[in-house]
Amino acid sequence: MAVFSRRAVITGVGVLTPLGMDGNSFHSALVAGKSGITPITNFDPANLPVRFAGEISDFDAKNFVDKKDRKALRVMARTIHLAVAGAQCALNDAKVDKTKLDKTRFGVVFGAGLIAVELPELAEAARLSAHGQPGNIDLKMWGEKGLGAVPPLWMLKYLPNMLACQVSIFHDAQGPNNSITQSDVAGLLALGESFRILSRNHADFMLTGGAESKINPLSMTRHCLFEDLSRENDNPQGASRPFDATRNGMVLGEGAGVLALEELTHAQARGAKIYGEVLGFGAAFDQKKDGSGVTRALNAALKEARVAPADLDHINGHGLSTRDSDRREAAGICQGLAGGPGVIALKASLGNLGAAGATVELIASLMALEKGVLPGTRNYQHPDAECPVEVITAARPVKKNCFVKISMDQTGQCAAAVIRGGPL
Amino acid sequence: MRRRIVITGMGAVTPLGHSVQEMFSNLLAGKSGIGPITRFDASKFKTTFAAEVKSFDLGNFVIGASRWANSGVNSQFAAAATQLALDDSGLFSSGQIDRARLGVYLGSGEGIQDFPNMISLIALAYNPQTRKMDFPCFEKLGLEHFKGAQEAEQELHTTTAHLANHFGLEGPNYNCLTACAASSQAIGEAMEIIRYGDADVMITGGSHSMIHPFGVTGFNLLTALSEFNQDPVRASRPFDLNRDGFVLGEGAGMLVLEEFEHAKKRGARIYAEMTGYFSTADAFRVTDSHPEGRGAIACIAGAIRDSGVPVEDIGYINAHGTSTQVNDKVETLSIKKVFGAHAYKTPVSSIKSMMGHLIAAAGAVELITCVEAMRQGIMPPTMNYETPDPECDLDYIPNKAREGKPRHCLSNSFGFGGQNTSLVVSAFSG
Repeated sequence: MAVFSRRAVITGVGVLTPLGMDGNSFHSALVAGKSGITPITNFDPANLPVRFAGEISDFDAKNFVDKKDRKALRVMARTIHLAVAGAQCALNDAKVDKTKLDKTRFGVVFGAGLIAVELPELAEAARLSAHGQPGNIDLKMWGEKGLGAVPPLWMLKYLPNMLACQVSIFHDAQGPNNSITQSDVAGLLALGESFRILSRNHADFMLTGGAESKINPLSMTRHCLFEDLSRENDNPQGASRPFDATRNGMVLGEGAGVLALEELTHAQARGAKIYGEVLGFGAAFDQKKDGSGVTRALNAALKEARVAPADLDHINGHGLSTRDSDRREAAGICQGLAGGPGVIALKASLGNLGAAGATVELIASLMALEKGVLPGTRNYQHPDAECPVEVITAARPVKKNCFVKISMDQTGQCAAAVIRGGPL
Repeated sequence: MRRRIVITGMGAVTPLGHSVQEMFSNLLAGKSGIGPITRFDASKFKTTFAAEVKSFDLGNFVIGASRWANSGVNSQFAAAATQLALDDSGLFSSGQIDRARLGVYLGSGEGIQDFPNMISLIALAYNPQTRKMDFPCFEKLGLEHFKGAQEAEQELHTTTAHLANHFGLEGPNYNCLTACAASSQAIGEAMEIIRYGDADVMITGGSHSMIHPFGVTGFNLLTALSEFNQDPVRASRPFDLNRDGFVLGEGAGMLVLEEFEHAKKRGARIYAEMTGYFSTADAFRVTDSHPEGRGAIACIAGAIRDSGVPVEDIGYINAHGTSTQVNDKVETLSIKKVFGAHAYKTPVSSIKSMMGHLIAAAGAVELITCVEAMRQGIMPPTMNYETPDPECDLDYIPNKAREGKPRHCLSNSFGFGGQNTSLVVSAFSG
């Protein structure tokens, strides 16, 4: 299937996480076995059944972006702040001279989720239109008075395509631009699509990945109602236990993981540092809910990469820490990567960062290849017969130069990418 | 040689009908699907009208509609249009289909928010004296009153997941939400997935409804909607001098895209061939298009280049044509820049004059319109075109359908944030 010969390399990383705001400190914290999961402090979660998360407590996008862009931050939700800050970090790390980039060949593809409105923005409008009864509002009053009390650009603050669009505006990136909205797998699908865009010669340089924050009153309330969340409020750091027999739900988190992905000769011509190369990608749907979708995504990615399971240093798993998702993933890994290495599952330390999760975790593996030390998986103590995978628990030296990243979501979307470390 | 992609099935649920044929004949007749909003009491909104899908019942389209019991209409429209497109393609009645090579790429919108609960609970948790919100109070009320199953359905990945689960589509599964360009972009990326070899068949298109209080509020605040409440049918007037904004519509359009050899082998009926796709960003402002059409020009030129069709062979342009001052001016400018003198000889029309703007779903329905125009040899008009605008001086097929035999059509979609997508579809020539 290698119809095209243009190769895609990673030349910059931007990572904003509960465990560090740059690649080096993120890697050190993971190797030290730290957890970024803490009681929620960004708002008062007193009445929620879940009051802890992988929260970034001191994030201010103003500290990351150009002075000229700061004003624009006012019309962006926190998720978009994470996206533009993460993109700026990746661009800085790539050390690219923007004046020398062909702007029409500079694209942006992001994974994004549903963005919660900030409740106080609607409070005055709500007061003017409600009767003091739950579920009861006066739409005539809303139309007449309430509507006018909402900020004019309100909607644009929350559109999921504004991650990629605001990044394109900040950096004059006029090339292909897309926003993929497949929940937790969105960021890896975005990386896969960027890989294809470079390969089909529609761009030379891409910023790609994902960003998301659900750590706000509305998202947390909603997700408590339909998501399988761990409720171990007295044990935040031990609550996320991917593949462990005692796991009882995921932990939500927030962050951004952005990659500068570049066509190989373009990177070489400017003498860029190369973190690694995307060798193969696959996506599938696990309709039978038995992990066969994971297997097919893995097989497609390995086949394209021409890499055998035995060539992999480790598997960077999705490891959600719910009963169902980990069981399916483990089945998919056993089928697709027989003879392969062990698995790391970094949601144990970070929580589930939504659309940001896959690329944040992928960057952890890239940094591991770069530094020669692979972090282990926290909180894995009780092997589960339903998850017959070898979980790597302690940090260890890197042995091989390739890894595979798996991402999936609970409805069945799956993706896998095979990456080889640099220099090439 | 790259893999060729053909269209072998189409389905549509729109304000002008629940099938492609009904929709297209209404478009040719110049009928309007626009009227007062009935979904909720919009009587005091700045805009009180929209193009709603009428008397829709998912049970008339799919077996097992209960799967969508908690979904918003966006997901339900998608399910109905997918069933229509799959039936039309004969895909599942033509022997063994490798489900792993059959994927989905939609440009579908978000679900419908629970507006009454959201607003009433915010009000209850708000102290007007201190102008502060009591978040724990909101949490408690939210846990009591929001319905979990409905909240889950608002998430952006649920529409494609339902389709994959219901119809057994085990290949790549994507949704993009690039505002008003979404379903065109989805179709373009679905083409690329087949071209590359990641799948053989893709169900693609989009669905959306923003005809709900938050949607109308958001667009009214941006002053993007027409406020011509006195005569809704005449409100959407693309390229007319007196245009004053777009009209919200809703619905879904779905296509079955298939690798040519795959379609040939199973003896499928081929409607048309997808030949060109490109996407760009304006990288200018979130609210306005680039005034010189920088992104749109690169996008239109890119799609035509991708198709290999000379511009003078493009026989019809289905415009984005929203009926806003800026879009119609910049789109006209961009077409002229790419087509040169030939721009004046190329018929252009906007079906949004009759159907309103289906937002994420618009591009898919407009591409289907291009296919039907080629098949039936007649192009739909731009209705409500009365007063020429000196800055919009192309041939907009004013007010009456026109016979003609376009062999290649261009369909444009542009969205908030500076998203541009163009597609080229060609008559199938073996």
